[in-house]
Amino acid sequence: MKIQRFCLLLILALTCAGCTVKAVGDPERPITINANVVVDIRGLKNTATNIEDMVAKGA
Amino acid sequence: MKLRYLMIFFLLMAASPYAALATSYDIKNMTPEIEKALSGRQARYAQLNLFKSTGCLGENNLGLVEVLDNPSVCQPPALAENRDRMVIYRAIADQNNLGSEGLAQVQNVFGEVQRERASSGDPVQLPSGEWIKK
Repeated sequence: MKIQRFCLLLILALTCAGCTVKAVGDPERPITINANVVVDIRGLKNTATNIEDMVAKGA
Repeated sequence: MKLRYLMIFFLLMAASPYAALATSYDIKNMTPEIEKALSGRQARYAQLNLFKSTGCLGENNLGLVEVLDNPSVCQPPALAENRDRMVIYRAIADQNNLGSEGLAQVQNVFGEVQRERASSGDPVQLPSGEWIKK
């Protein structure tokens, strides 16, 4: 029973992770957000491999 | 018991799109400068491989070629190659908005790919900075 409850909560959390978060604020006082860009290394590695393949094949 | 398996199945189904998605970092705008860099790299590819096999050039951990011996012969193509590679790396970092750390990460990943693709016996630099023969 506990496992079922845990799974349900987890599914709800995963579903909510995709939801849009809206911030409400004063348009006269814009806020600054310093965001850290997270780079997907796997995606970058795919790009690097594709480019190196292209260089090698075109040689 | 069946319900437990059912829950695990739904959990995996819910999580799979997040796990399967790998961000794509493409060269979105193929400028004449990038085209020139790519064609330049293609043109000197065989020559660089020859120099790597003789130990004259190696692949460093920043995604660039490094002169290890006989600079009078190996330096000119190494300079041209690194110039072209940096054009490509900067384009990927800039066009994908990878931020201030983006260029360094692009270089590290290309360095890793070059290490993996290197032929047996070619000099390669490990992330620690140590040079080895693959």
